[in-house]
Parts: sequence; structure tokens; C-alpha cells
Amino acid sequence: MVAEHENKTGVEGQFDLRLYVKQQPVMLALLALVGVIFFLGVAGLSRGYHAQREALGDRWFSRGVADLNAQRYDGAVADFRSALLYSRDNYDYQLNLAEALIGRGRTAEAYSYLVNLWERQPENGLVNLELARIAAQRGQRDQAQRYYHNAIYAVWPGDQEAQRRETRFELIEYLLRINAQAPAQAELMALQENLGEDPAQQKRAGALFLRAQDYEHALAAYRISLRTNRHDEAALAGAGWAAFQLGRYAVAEHYLQTAMALNPNDTDSEERLKTTQLVLRMDPFRRQIPVNERDKIVVEAFATAGTRLSSCATPKAAAASASSQPSLADSWAKLKPQISEQQLRRNPDLVEQAMELVFEIERQTSATCGAPTGEDLALLLISKLHEGN
Amino acid sequence: MVANGVENGVANGAMAGVASSSQPVAGRMIYGRSPKALLNAVFREERFFLILSVFIGIFSGLAVVCFRFAIGWSRLYLLGTGAVLSPTRLLLAPTLTGLVIAALVIHVFPLARGSGVNQTKAALYIYNGFIPFRTAIGKFITAAMAIGSGQSLGPEDPSLQIGACIASVLGRQMRLSRDRMRLIAPVGAAAGLAAAFNAPISAVLFVIEEVIGRWTAGILGSVVLSAVSSVVVMRLFLGSESLFRIPAVQLERPSELIAYAILGIVGGLASAVFSVGITTLRPKFKALPLWTQYLQPALAGLLIGIIAWLGAPQVMGAGYEAMDEAMHGRFTWQFLAMLAGLKIVATLFSFVSGTPGGMFAPTLFIGAMLGAAVGGAEHVVLPHLSGSPGTYALVGMGVLFAGFLRAPMTSVFMVLEVSGNYSIILPVIVANTIAYVISRGLRPIAIFDMLTRQDGLELPSMEELREEGVLHVEDAMRAVDIPVVDAQQTVAEALQIVQASSAEEFLVRLSPSGWNSVTKQQLRTLVDEGKGGTSLGSQLPIRQIPFLHPDLPLETALRYVDRWPLVPVVSRANVRQLEGVISERDVLERYREFGES
Repeated sequence: MVAEHENKTGVEGQFDLRLYVKQQPVMLALLALVGVIFFLGVAGLSRGYHAQREALGDRWFSRGVADLNAQRYDGAVADFRSALLYSRDNYDYQLNLAEALIGRGRTAEAYSYLVNLWERQPENGLVNLELARIAAQRGQRDQAQRYYHNAIYAVWPGDQEAQRRETRFELIEYLLRINAQAPAQAELMALQENLGEDPAQQKRAGALFLRAQDYEHALAAYRISLRTNRHDEAALAGAGWAAFQLGRYAVAEHYLQTAMALNPNDTDSEERLKTTQLVLRMDPFRRQIPVNERDKIVVEAFATAGTRLSSCATPKAAAASASSQPSLADSWAKLKPQISEQQLRRNPDLVEQAMELVFEIERQTSATCGAPTGEDLALLLISKLHEGN
Repeated sequence: MVANGVENGVANGAMAGVASSSQPVAGRMIYGRSPKALLNAVFREERFFLILSVFIGIFSGLAVVCFRFAIGWSRLYLLGTGAVLSPTRLLLAPTLTGLVIAALVIHVFPLARGSGVNQTKAALYIYNGFIPFRTAIGKFITAAMAIGSGQSLGPEDPSLQIGACIASVLGRQMRLSRDRMRLIAPVGAAAGLAAAFNAPISAVLFVIEEVIGRWTAGILGSVVLSAVSSVVVMRLFLGSESLFRIPAVQLERPSELIAYAILGIVGGLASAVFSVGITTLRPKFKALPLWTQYLQPALAGLLIGIIAWLGAPQVMGAGYEAMDEAMHGRFTWQFLAMLAGLKIVATLFSFVSGTPGGMFAPTLFIGAMLGAAVGGAEHVVLPHLSGSPGTYALVGMGVLFAGFLRAPMTSVFMVLEVSGNYSIILPVIVANTIAYVISRGLRPIAIFDMLTRQDGLELPSMEELREEGVLHVEDAMRAVDIPVVDAQQTVAEALQIVQASSAEEFLVRLSPSGWNSVTKQQLRTLVDEGKGGTSLGSQLPIRQIPFLHPDLPLETALRYVDRWPLVPVVSRANVRQLEGVISERDVLERYREFGES
């Protein structure tokens, strides 16, 4: 610098070297002062600028939320996009935009936003839930389950437990939709542990257990629900149906009768009750049944099976029966002369023989001629009840 | 690097004596007790320049922050607050603002036209670092209005010029020497660009690659300091978030790089098309009658307004929001391809109409749309490809940057910096290189060089400089065809060795190292004086002759061959091992041959 400046002074010969060197600290100090003033000015400007943008962002966001709540998804998307102009990285804006996009059916776009949000907050419950829904929609079962589980253990605003419970309910619904019974049952068991005595939640769990074909737990859930509200017709019907499926027809009759008394228009329960009562009435092996009544039931059952057999005499059924040695029709015809109340009273071994044939007829005809109804159904259920005995 | 090499090369030779003689002077300056000497040491110009670079960075950062605010307000008041714009504003805002801008540029700020990169280069190479402050004011106002009203231009190049202008003003106020004044514009340019991009590495690289054209330790320190300080200031006011965010890229199979290579090819072709459009239309627009220049920005604005009104408002302004949306898979690949095409048209007209504003952002926009479109199309054909639209868009940005702006190094680092995502580096390098090579093949002259030539200026082409062949000492040296004597030999022995040679000058190998020379006549005189039995080394002058290495640039040899008729060229591994010799005639002969070829 000294050498250069000497050179410069030599060329220009206008300013003194020492003075020049001495001036530099002063100039730097002045520069610093100007810098501070400039900085303060920009800081003031910045405050105003950001405040304005924040206000605009909030205004558009509020509009977006209103549109989203009213399910005006197109408007909501535009509003949230406008809000994002003023705060590109705002988490809530992006999340709501993603929800509006999902509402609009633009899941690919929403997914991209959600993935970004997930990277920023992997523990966010709502983001995980939305991602799970998209994955479920796309048929990506593993991803969907992973996101659902993330959401179940994630952080939620407000009532965290309720949100987690709802998410698990949703996961179970999803699993049942895709016929994944085993994982659905596992999720239901985990869910039930956290439900407590809440009758509504237990009733909901009971219904899901029914769909998952876990009737024992379904009945248990309905019973817990009924402890608080004995007159909950849906819980009664559900409990009745669960007991019916478990083969506990006496219990089922109790629940279904109560349900029918509360809601006579419940046709499903009415049908199930009829079948239950038929099962109870037509079972010749039930305990403490008088002999004459038992014999009468066997005769009726034998006749019913015969009718079913003849009504099922389609070519297909005939072919099926032709292959069995001897055929059911032959067996039935051969036994028919012996099946009367007197004969049965004289030879009680015939009861077993007759009922075995009846059960076999009902089983085979249900396989070849479709699901039975009425007394035939009752006989089929009785056959299942005594299977292995 | 060359300079260092030169200094190292001569350090073992004669120049070592010069360096050691200056050392005590420096020591006195630093450790001396005199306050005046201390002050002198502190405020040596190179140190002062470094301090000034920090101030340049701070001032440029603040100016760029204000510039961003101005663009934001301009957009807000001209186009409205929502993302969905009203048709009236879409058509009127860019058109009417275009008229105002034209009047301002023609009557008040004539130097505010264009992007600003070439003006900064001109300040460095032609105007000794001088850029009028009025240019910065003009650029600030007109570019903010243009970009805010929807003209298809970006804020980066104007920021670069504003930074350079601030640096120039500060340099003048500080009365820097001419050498420093020349370098001060790039220092400010780096600060402005770094703040605009929130990317200090890219800004430094761009300025080195595209404006200064060479790496020197002196300027690099200042450029880095200014860039870093401006980014720090900018982040203080505008946040430190990356410009774009995409998920991490996982290349599941190396073969997926082929998909990015295809993007490189498409990007290279698009760059060439964009470049041809600008360089063809610009002189034609400039050649139109003067009165049309009042209307050109307005017509460009109207065209952009119509494009926006017809369904592509994304082409308006810098387009960063649209790029973000493209990265989030908002558009179909067909629409993305259309947006890329429309943006080329919109930017062409905005730029050639003389509207102040930069080409960086439109280049990135075109690249992003093209990248996402190519990625989308490839996904249709090959659904197993793992790259997201964001990945392809980001790689596409780098591709256009490399192909159109022809800054290959910057293009790679820019993508990494603006995304903060280093997992993308392999696709970026592959695609950018391909795009650069294709664009270079189709358009041998880079866009900035072309624009400079259209303006009648002859600025050095950094691309040509980078690729210019460099002659080395080994290209001019000749084999050792004269006897070489050792300093330990007696004078008589030496005379006996050289006697048979027709040459007059001979090299003497000194012990333990170093070289000297002696003439046949000098040896004869010494023998005649009765010193034939003494060692040759004791009779030679103390001052050694310099030596060179074969890999040094030939221009290094020029510093010595005029003073020493024969300069030894020695091995770097063993300086006593002679590889050849070089003379002034050898050097000039080689340069003549090079010039003729």
C-alpha cells in the first residue's frame, strides 16, 4: 500500500500519503456509521413488510379455512395458495392446502406437500394420517399401515387420546375393508385395552369385532357397553348376533328379544331371533327335554330334511347325490318307514341315526342348493352346534 | 495458481535473493514500535480491501433486501394480493407499467437496460471499476416495477449489478488504487448475487467463472467475504430457508442416470433454442425506430398478460412460486412442457424489449418446468423410476443454467445450494455436463459474450479463456546440446571440456544446488590469469542464474530470457538434473508458431 501509494502520489502528486493513511480509519468509521443507519432503516422497513405479509397471509388463510369447512375445495385451494405467497413455509398453510387438495381429489399434489411436511415434522399426527389415507387410496398397504401407526403414536393437538383412538378405528376400518382380518383383530385388541368403560366406544368396538369375526370379543365389548345402558338397542342386537354366532342361542334369544322389544322394526334382529328360537325349539339333544317331545322334534326334523332334499333335486344335486354311496335320498327313503314317534320311543338309537342323516342332508344341500332358511337353517345350525359330539 | 507457481519456480533461483531481502522490511512494519508504522501495516491496501469487502457485502445485502421488498410491494399493488389474478390486472398491469419503464429507461436511467452481468464485466475490463450510482437507482426502480408487474424477468442479475454499483461507489469514496478499483465491481457483484440467491458459493463461483475469469488468492478472499456478509445480512431479514425444498433423492439403480442424461439432452437443445431466440430478436428490436422503444416493454407486457389470461399466469414475474408448485407435482407433464415453451417466449420478449431485469430466474423456471416435464414423461414410459417431479425440476434448473448461461461449475453448486440437498449431485453433474456440451456444440458463443458483441463491446470471453491453449516451457525448450560443467571442476578442466564446442555460453552446475553460466572467453581469461588450477565455482559471480521447470507457463520464461541468454530447465524432482535449455529465441519462435497455427 505504501509503495503503491507513493507511486500513485508520484503520478498524481495531489494528496499527501500520511494524510491519506490517517483518513482511512476515519472513513471506515463513517462507513460503519452509515451502515448502522442503513441497517436500522432496512430493519424498520422489514418490520412493516413482514407485518403486512403476515396480515395478508392470515387473511387468505382464514378465507381458506372457511372454504374448506364449507367443502368449497377449489376456493380453499386458491385461498391457501394465496396465503402461501406470503409465508411459503408456513406449516399450517401447507397442511390445509394439502387437505383442500385431497378434498378436491388432487392426491398426487397433496402427497408431495404432505411428504415435505412430514420431513419437517415426522411426529405430526394429522400429516401422518393424511399420508396414510393417500397410501390406502393408492393400495399401498404397508405404507398405509406404517403411516397409520405413526399417526397413532404421533403428537396431536387437543385431545390426544381421542385422536389416537379415532386413528386406530380408521386403521381397523381400512384393514377390514381390505379383508385383512388378522391384523384388524390385533388392532382391535390393542384398541379395546384403551377404551375403558365408555359404552359408545365399546359398542363401536363390538361392531368392528363382529366384522372381524371375533365374536367372543364382540360379545364382551357389547356386554361392557350394556352395563351402562341396558336399553341400547344396537348394542343388544349386536350382542345377540355375537352370541348367535358363538352358538349361545339362549343368550342370543335374550338379547335379541330385548332388542326387538325396543325396536320392533329391526328386521335383521327379527330374522335372527326367529332362527334362534327355531334352533332352540328344534334341537332334540338339548338338556332336560321330555322323551315324547324329543321324538316329536326328530320326526319333524326328518320330514323337513326330506322336503329340503326333494326340493334340492336339481341335476347338479342329483349328480352330487349319485356319487355318494348310497345316496342321501335312498338313505332317507330307507329310514323313513322307521321314523315315527312310536318307533323312536321303542328304539331310541334311531334318534341318533335319524338326526345324523338330517344333519348330513342339510349340510350337503346347503353346499349344493345355497344357504338354507327357516327350519332348514335351524337344523344346519344345530348340526354345527353338535359337530364332533 | 499460475502466479504462485511462478513464484515457487523462481524461489530456488535468483528471485529467492530478492524475496529474502524484502523480508526484514515487512518484519519492521509489523513488529515495529512506531504507531505510524503499525497503522500503515494495518491499513495496507490489500487488508483495507478485505475490510471494505465486508462493508460492500453488508451494504449490498441491505440493498438486495430492499430490492426484494420493492418487488414484493410492486407485485402486491400492481397485480393484487391473491394467487388467482383478475383478468383486468393481468392485461393492464404489465402493459401500463411497461410504458412507464420505457420512459424511465429512455429518459432517466439509460444504463439500466438489460440484465446487468455484462455491465459489470464492462466495469471491470473497460471502465476501471466505474459504475455510476444512478445505474443502481435506475436498476432498482425499473427492475422492481418490471418484475412486480409480471414481466418475465428475474431479480438476480439486477441484484448483481446493484451490488457491483455499491462496491464501485464505495471504492471511489475510499480512493482505492486503479488495480483495486477494477476488482471491486466483481466483489460487489458476488455480494449482490449471493444475497439474491441465498447462495454464497454459487455467487462466488459465478463471479469467478463468468466475470473475473481467473482464480487469484487476492480477489478470492474479498469475493468470499463480501458474498458471505451479504448473505448473513439477507438471512437476517428474509430468513435462511433454501429457495427450494425437495425430498432426498435415492438413486435405486445407477441405470436411472440415463433418465437424467435424457434431460440433459433436452435441456441442451432448449438452451440453444432460447439462446438463438434472444440473439436473433435482440438486434432486430434494437434496430426498430426509436419511438417503438417506448412501446416495446408495454407490448412485451401485454403479450405476457395475454398468456397469463389464457391460462398460464405462472409465466409472470420471476416464477418462483410456480417452480415450487411444479416441484410438488401440481402440473401434468404436458402442461409443464407448455409452460417451459411459453416462458421462453415470454422471456424472449421481455428481455429483447429492453426491460430491465435478469435472466437467471427465467432460466431456472424454464429448466424446472422442462425437467419436471421430462421426468413426468419418463415416468409414464418407465413407472419404476424413483425420481420425484421435484428432483427432475431441480436437475432441470441446473441443466438450463449450464446450457444457457454456460456456467457449468456454478450450475452444479447452484442446484445444491438452492435446494440444500446434496443427494442430488450425481444426476446434476451428469445432466449438466451433457447439456453444456450440446449447447456448446450448437452455439459456440455463450449468450453473455454474444450480447456483449451485439452492444459493440469486446469483453473477454470467459468460456474462451477457460478453453484457450496455454504454452508451457517444455513446448519451447530444446535439448541440451552444449557441454555442462560442474562447479567443483578446475577452470582448466572446464576449458578443456568446452573447447571442442562451437557454443560460446555454457551452464555450470553448482553444488549443492543451483546453476550459473560461464563463457568460453571468461574461462580463457581465467587460465591466462594463472587461475587454471582453481575450482570453477570459486571464480564465478555469487549471483546465480534462475532456472525453470518444464511445466511452467511459457510466459514465465519471458521474465528471464532477456537477461540470461541461456536459462536451464530442470526437473522438479532434482534441480541438478537438466531437462533442457531455453533462450529468448526459442520462446519467441514458439510463440510465432503458436500464433500462426
